[in-house]
Amino acid sequence: MIEPFLYFWLILKASLFSTGGTGNLPSIHADLLARNWATDRQFAEALAIGQISPGPSGFWVISLGYLTDGVRGALLATLAISLPPMLILAVAALHRRVGDHPAMQGFVHGLGLAVCGIFLVVVIQLLEENGFDAISALIVLASIGLAMTKRVPVPVLLLLAGLAGALLY
Amino acid sequence: MSNAKVELITEEAPQAPVTGPVQPSLWQLLRVWFMLGLQSFGGGTATLFLIRRAVVEQHHWVSEGAFTRDWALCQAAPGINLLCMTILLGRQVAGLPGALVAMAGLMLPSVAITIVMTALYADLRNLSMVQAALRGIVPATVGMGLLLSTNMARPLLASSRRESASSLSVGILLLVGSAAAVQFWHLPVIVVLCAAGAIGALNAWYHASQAKVGQP
Repeated sequence: MIEPFLYFWLILKASLFSTGGTGNLPSIHADLLARNWATDRQFAEALAIGQISPGPSGFWVISLGYLTDGVRGALLATLAISLPPMLILAVAALHRRVGDHPAMQGFVHGLGLAVCGIFLVVVIQLLEENGFDAISALIVLASIGLAMTKRVPVPVLLLLAGLAGALLY
Repeated sequence: MSNAKVELITEEAPQAPVTGPVQPSLWQLLRVWFMLGLQSFGGGTATLFLIRRAVVEQHHWVSEGAFTRDWALCQAAPGINLLCMTILLGRQVAGLPGALVAMAGLMLPSVAITIVMTALYADLRNLSMVQAALRGIVPATVGMGLLLSTNMARPLLASSRRESASSLSVGILLLVGSAAAVQFWHLPVIVVLCAAGAIGALNAWYHASQAKVGQP
């Protein structure tokens, strides 16, 4: 039986001590599997749904909540991942206090560049995990082209891509 | 096109004379973020792309530079970066209520749809068509991600170039080096981010002290 308070705490703890939407994955995985509250397959499915469902891909935890504990699990997971981001206000306050120091500006500048670099790596890993071939390369290029026009809404773009996947694979 | 014009004209004029950027009402803010939440298919990458388009390019609530700075700051906070970003952007536009409204607006539709989609998926999980569509969606997300990260890196490298040629080379080194550190040396992301921040800080400090030495 899943204990709701412990379930909530395990997700909250994992999210507090990690950054990004999937930084909490290793901790949640270890904790839930140890209690037999989730299976590996449920994790894989939740991560995939997090990619295509609306909102940040970090919402995979909400999917996992539903798959393991129904609507109650989904709501507990939602609450647990909503709280840690509020600490950004403390981070921003700190930044405001010392923000005009050149070293602080340099820190955020360097951080920003590293984020862009790592972003590229993560995005390319996503492509590799999905299976990289001529079709996916074509979809990548087409989506860049369509996005650059700024005329195609993102959901339409993804719908087209899903259609292409269904037809070509 | 003509619809947008009509909407602009019928929009109520602000009561008090507005100085600086136009301050939207909380209701307007909720509507914009609700629409973002509703359209935010395709994970955080696509969503950030959408948010940038709405907040920077369409409504001009936040400057391009502030958007990139905020996003960098969000990497240092715990949890989902996109929610941190939503809180920061909401607060910049309308204070603490703005932050809460923005977060609620983004999350209400997206969380509800995520739960419904999971429930549907639980029924359809074994259809090959569903699997194939998913394989097509991932590369499109990747394409938008590539575009997004070049869009975000561009103003950072431009400001490095304005500073000096050596700052530009440090900037390029940070961009490429951090990617390599994660991809090839498998360093933890948080370690790479801290190191890149430290190098950026040292570089800026050095430049500031050089500028002081140059003054009489």
